Amino acid sequence: MAEITQSPGALPARRGVSRLTLFAYLLVAPVVLLIVGLVAYPFLFAIWISFTDQVVGNVGKWIGLANFIYLSKNSTFVSSIWNTITMVLVSDGLKLCIGLGLALLVHQHLPGRGLFRSFLMLPWAMPAFVAFLTWRVLYQPIGGGINLILTATGIHSGVIDWLGQRSTAMPAVIFATVWRGFPFWFVSFLAALQAVPKELYEAARVDGATAWQQFWTVTIPGIRQVIIVTTLLSSIWTANGFENVWLLTQGGPSDATMVFPVLAYFGMQTQRLGEAAAVSVYTLPVLIVLVLIATTLMLRDED
Amino acid sequence: MSEADKSKLTPWTRRKVLGAAAASTAAVALGAGLAAPARAQGKKLTYWGGLIFSDDANKLLVDTINDWGAKNGVATEVVMINQNETTQKVSAAVASNSMPDALDVGLGLGLLLGRQGVFTTLDDLYKKIGDAQGGWYPGTDKASDTTAAAGGRIGIPFGVNGNLLLRRKDLLEPKGFKDAPKTWAELAEQAAAVNAPPVYGLGLALSNVGDGNVQINVMQAYGGRIADDEGKKVTIKSEETRAYLQWLKDAWDKGVFPPGNTTWDGAGDNQAYLAGQAAFIANTGSVGIAAKKDDPDLFESSAFSALPGGPKGVVSPIDVQLRVIPKASPMQDEAKALIEYLSNPDFMNAYFNVAIYGPVLKAQEKLKAFDGSNSILVGLLGLAQNGTAPAYPDVYNAAYADMSSNFIIPKMAQRVVIDGWDFDKAMDEAQAQAQNIYDKYK
Repeated sequence: MAEITQSPGALPARRGVSRLTLFAYLLVAPVVLLIVGLVAYPFLFAIWISFTDQVVGNVGKWIGLANFIYLSKNSTFVSSIWNTITMVLVSDGLKLCIGLGLALLVHQHLPGRGLFRSFLMLPWAMPAFVAFLTWRVLYQPIGGGINLILTATGIHSGVIDWLGQRSTAMPAVIFATVWRGFPFWFVSFLAALQAVPKELYEAARVDGATAWQQFWTVTIPGIRQVIIVTTLLSSIWTANGFENVWLLTQGGPSDATMVFPVLAYFGMQTQRLGEAAAVSVYTLPVLIVLVLIATTLMLRDED
Repeated sequence: MSEADKSKLTPWTRRKVLGAAAASTAAVALGAGLAAPARAQGKKLTYWGGLIFSDDANKLLVDTINDWGAKNGVATEVVMINQNETTQKVSAAVASNSMPDALDVGLGLGLLLGRQGVFTTLDDLYKKIGDAQGGWYPGTDKASDTTAAAGGRIGIPFGVNGNLLLRRKDLLEPKGFKDAPKTWAELAEQAAAVNAPPVYGLGLALSNVGDGNVQINVMQAYGGRIADDEGKKVTIKSEETRAYLQWLKDAWDKGVFPPGNTTWDGAGDNQAYLAGQAAFIANTGSVGIAAKKDDPDLFESSAFSALPGGPKGVVSPIDVQLRVIPKASPMQDEAKALIEYLSNPDFMNAYFNVAIYGPVLKAQEKLKAFDGSNSILVGLLGLAQNGTAPAYPDVYNAAYADMSSNFIIPKMAQRVVIDGWDFDKAMDEAQAQAQNIYDKYK
C-alpha cells in the first residue's frame, strides 16, 4: 500500500482544506471579485431590470413580462429579429469565405506576402467609427466614391442611393461590416494553417490526393477548432454590433436595417432602461445556444 | 523556506480568508465613501455646460463662470458636455450619484428627471429674474412650467431654439419667389421650381433622427394629431394625417427630396445645405453659423424664416434650455447665485451674439444682439415671440416624448415613400405603435 503524505503546510485532515489551498484562494480572490463585479453583476443586473419599469433616476418596480410583451407587439422589433439573423448569417458566411480564401493564398510562398499580410490587417486596425463613417461617405448618393467609380467606368450612370433604398441598404451595411471584420478571420486562419503539420500534406500527396482533397481531408480538419471559435466570437460580435448600422443607416430606411443593438439604443434614448435591457435580454438565448453548439463541437473534437 | 519557518506561519482558515476579503472590501468602500465628502469640503462648484456649435459661445460661458467664481471666492470647474451626449452622461451621473452642482439641460430631459425629484425647485429665482427683466415670453413661460410634473419650476430658462426654415435666395428669387413660403404646400411648390439635381429643392430629413421629427410639425399643421386632448388615446389615423401624407407623397414623387434623406444622421441636412445640394432645410440655425464662418457667400445667399403653416395654422415648437440644480448638490446657494448672475443682460447679450438661441425674457429683445443685423437672431427672436409650445396642439407628456424618440411619424413617412405602403396601412401601423407606447403610461 502506498504511503500517503501530507503536503507541507497542510492543515489537519479534519479541516479538509490545506493552508496552501486557502492561500491560493486568497490569491485568486481579487480576480474572482473583479469578474463578479465587472461581468456577472452587470449581466445579472441587466436581466433583473428587464423585468422592471426602471427609468433614469428611478429604480422602478417589478412588472414581470410587460417589457417583453410590449416589444413583441412592436413590428420594428420583429423586423430587427430577421435583420439581426440575416446580418449574422450573411456577413459571417462572407467573412468565413473571404478570410479562409485569403489565408490560403497568403499561406503560399508568394513574393511580398509579408507586406500583403499587413495590408490585409488594415481594416481591422482602423477604429470602427472611422471605418464606418468612411463607408458612409463612399455610399453617398451624390459625390460618393462608389457612384463616382460606377459613373466613371460606365457601369452605371445616375444616382444610386445605396443606404436609402430597402433593396440596397442591408447589402451595403453587410458589405461594410464584412470589410471591417474579415481580417480577424484571416489572421486566425493563417495562424491555424501554419500549425497544420506539413507531413500530413506530403502523406496525402503520396496517396495521390488532389489539392481539393487535401483541402477537405487535411486543411479543414486541421483548422476546425479555429473555425468554430472564430465563428462563435464573430457571430457574437456581429449580433452585438452597433456602430456599423448606427453610423450608416440608424436602422433605416424604414426598418430595413434595424437590429437589436440599435433598437436597444432607441430604448436608452427614452431613458426607459428596463425596456432597453429587455431588447438585449431577448438575444441571450440565441447567444447561449451559439456558445453551447460551439462548446459541444470543440469538446467532441477533444474526445 | 525551512520547516521551522513554515511552522511559524499561521494556518489560513476559510474564516480568515473571508475575513481578509471582507476587510479589503470594507477598506475600498470606506475609501470611496470618504472621497465624496472631500469634494464637498473643497467647496468646488462643478457646472456642466451644454456644448454648442459655437466655440466662442462655449468659451464665453466657461470664462464667465470662472470669473464669477474668482470674484466670489468660489472654486469652479466647468465641464462642457456635448449636447448629443447629455442624456447618457446625466443618466450615468444620476445612477452613480455624481451629479454636478448645476447644469444645462433641454426641457425633455429636465422634465423627465424633474418628475423623479432629481432637481431643486427654483420658483423664487424664476420670479426674481422675470420681474427684473420685463417678464418671460409666454411661450417660454408655458413651456418651462414643470409644476404639474415636478411640484415647481425645476429650471431657469436661458435660451430657446427650434427649427427655422433656411432658404437659398439666390436660387429662389430668379424664379420669382422673393418671400418665404407661408404654407407647406407653397414650400413644395417653390422647392419643385428650383429642383435641379444635384441641387434638390427640399432638404428635409425623413430618417430616424431628431430632424426627422419635423414631420410631426407638418402633420400637425395639416390638422393631424398624435393623441386626444387627454394625451392618452392615439389619434394618428385621420383624414388630416392622410392630407399630410398626400402632401409628402406628392413632393416625393416630384423628386424634390435629396437622395439619402431617409437615412441621414443628425448632420445630414446641414451637410446637404452647406454642400449646396438643398434649396430649403429646416434647422436650428447651426447651419447658418457654419455658413457664416466657412462660406460667407452661402450665408449671404440664405434667408431665415419661421416654419410654414398648414390648413390648421403654424406649428413651430420651441425647445427651452434650462439651467438646473440637482438636489444632491451641497452648494445650493452658490449655484443659485451663479444662475442668477448668468441671466445678467451684459453676459446674455454677448452670449446670444455667438450662440444659436433666441431670447427668453422680454427685456432681452432690446439687447443689441437682436437689433436686426444678424438674420439668424432675427429668426430666433421671431421663434421666441411666436413659437408654439412643445407638442402643440398635442399634450406634451412622457408618452409624447417616448413617441418622438421612437420616430413614429418619420417611420410612417418612410413606409409611404420607401416601402410604397398605402396611406391606410402606414397610418394603421403608426397608430398601433404609438398606442402601444401611450399604453405604457396609463
